[in-house]
Amino acid sequence: MIRYSQLYWQFFKKHLKVMMEYRLDFFIGVMSVVLIQFTSIFFVKVVFDQIEDLNGWGFYEVLFIYGVATMGRSIHHIFFDNLWTIGWQYIRPGNFDRLLIRPINPLFHLIADRVQQDGFGQLVIGGLLMAAAMPHLGVEWGPVNLLILLVLIVSSGAIFVAVNLFFATLSFWIVDSLPITFAAFNLSDFARYPLNIYHKGIRWLLTWLIPYGFTAFYPAAAFIEHSGYRELGMITPLIAVISCWLAYRFWKVGLRAFNSTGS
Amino acid sequence: MIEVSGLTKEYKIALRKPGLTGAIQALFKREHQIKQAVQDVSFSIRKGEMVGYLGANGAGKSTTIKMLSGILTPTSGKVEVNGIVPYQNREQNAKGIGAVFGQRTQLFWDIPVRESYDLLRHIYEVPEDDYRESLALFTEVLDLGPLLSIPVRQLSLGQKMRCELAAAFLHRPAVVYLDEPTIGLDVAVKQKIRTFIKEMNKREETTVILTTHDMGDIEELCKRIIIIDEGKVLYDGDLQQIKERFGQKRVVHFELENKAGFAVPASLRDRVEIVPKADGEAEASNTVSLSFSSRDLSAADVIQAVLSVHSVRDLTIADPKIETIVKEIYERGV
Repeated sequence: MIRYSQLYWQFFKKHLKVMMEYRLDFFIGVMSVVLIQFTSIFFVKVVFDQIEDLNGWGFYEVLFIYGVATMGRSIHHIFFDNLWTIGWQYIRPGNFDRLLIRPINPLFHLIADRVQQDGFGQLVIGGLLMAAAMPHLGVEWGPVNLLILLVLIVSSGAIFVAVNLFFATLSFWIVDSLPITFAAFNLSDFARYPLNIYHKGIRWLLTWLIPYGFTAFYPAAAFIEHSGYRELGMITPLIAVISCWLAYRFWKVGLRAFNSTGS
Repeated sequence: MIEVSGLTKEYKIALRKPGLTGAIQALFKREHQIKQAVQDVSFSIRKGEMVGYLGANGAGKSTTIKMLSGILTPTSGKVEVNGIVPYQNREQNAKGIGAVFGQRTQLFWDIPVRESYDLLRHIYEVPEDDYRESLALFTEVLDLGPLLSIPVRQLSLGQKMRCELAAAFLHRPAVVYLDEPTIGLDVAVKQKIRTFIKEMNKREETTVILTTHDMGDIEELCKRIIIIDEGKVLYDGDLQQIKERFGQKRVVHFELENKAGFAVPASLRDRVEIVPKADGEAEASNTVSLSFSSRDLSAADVIQAVLSVHSVRDLTIADPKIETIVKEIYERGV
């Protein structure tokens, strides 16, 4: 574990150097993400200009959910973005072999191979959203609450990673699972709004099957008095651990299948 | 060092009927065919040996190397490299091997070569002093000096290959697999690479398995060759011996004014053969290739005999290719 953290730092330093070398690229990437995020937040604002509340949820509460989602996504976006590319960048052109002849865990290598600078844009937006929403929730933001919030955000990021890892793993059998991964990822857009505005089926799907509900709505609801989901929100870390464990098991199965078929 | 016995790898290939109907049918019902990429291959390689692993495209060379390096698990049979079963103990095995796979880069695309090496040093946990010493040596032999600060994607093929080679040897592996390390390179770069491999073998007693289509690589580096075809070992032994037996095969290509009515001149009959056209070569082109053994004929004899009967626009004399030798062995046996 210590070895892998040190190794990750070595990888990270290299990526940082590249980023600094192409500062304009970095800036454009970050700005474009900021813009995309702003448009969707603007949309929320427009909606709330027309209505008082959304099924009992006020503007700042929805903003808070949005903020948690964006923070969670940014963790996934910055550090684990390479999961997207496994099919077309690694398996199809045969580059995955390169990872397999190295004396380190191939999943670690895959992830460490890339740091996605655009994700920093998400991080900035997420931070701004949180800062805007947090004072209006009627919560005392003492150190304990802030620590819980941090744990829940990291868990949210971990769930994004787990779901993506699961679908990316399909690439071992079908070469490129990008369309499926993308479709699944888009479901997470639902989770940026209060889940109880949806039909029961969708709610169940996003809670227990593809647990995107735990990337934003439930952890945010943990801090909102009247949400009715405070307890469910607090099990987010548990859901994150289980999801990651399952996804990693599945990855192992895929890796074995790849090992004995090859390409 | 390397022990291989009864190594077999089967692939399942989905059969598809042609056309759209075929594609739709394949959605519902697929027929599979088992392809034996490698069949019952056995050999044993001592420490410090440099072995040429030869065969036509698709003969099973790369599949074998992938099994030796732990990328693929064999269907049956056994592999041991340095006492380790590569596909069971992949990471352990990876510490002791290095590899160059054709034109696929092992380096990191966006960062300068030196930074790539630095990352590899951390991945393989090479002690700082060893690393510095190796890098100095490689820089000298492969002339890497001016390349170290350039990102990999900006290098030419020849430059990249030299950097790749250094990367494969950086952690002083006991075994190195080189899958076509000189493909597409000019003579000068080829020479540098060969010199480097020889030097490393001499210094570190590195065991090298080399696949190539270049006879020059083999002649300069390997005493022993293993030839495989359709997944089976055809020959395993001395290079010199095989060259004496088959190496006299020469080929002369003639470009004629008019191919119609070409016949092998009477004086050469039964002593030369017309080489069939390779796939994709235009049947209509006016070239004819004659192969013969330099034991019973000289190239001059053949050229003279053809010139006296046909009007020839151009001609070239080709060196014996490994493919021709492999084909000879395949058709006639060792």
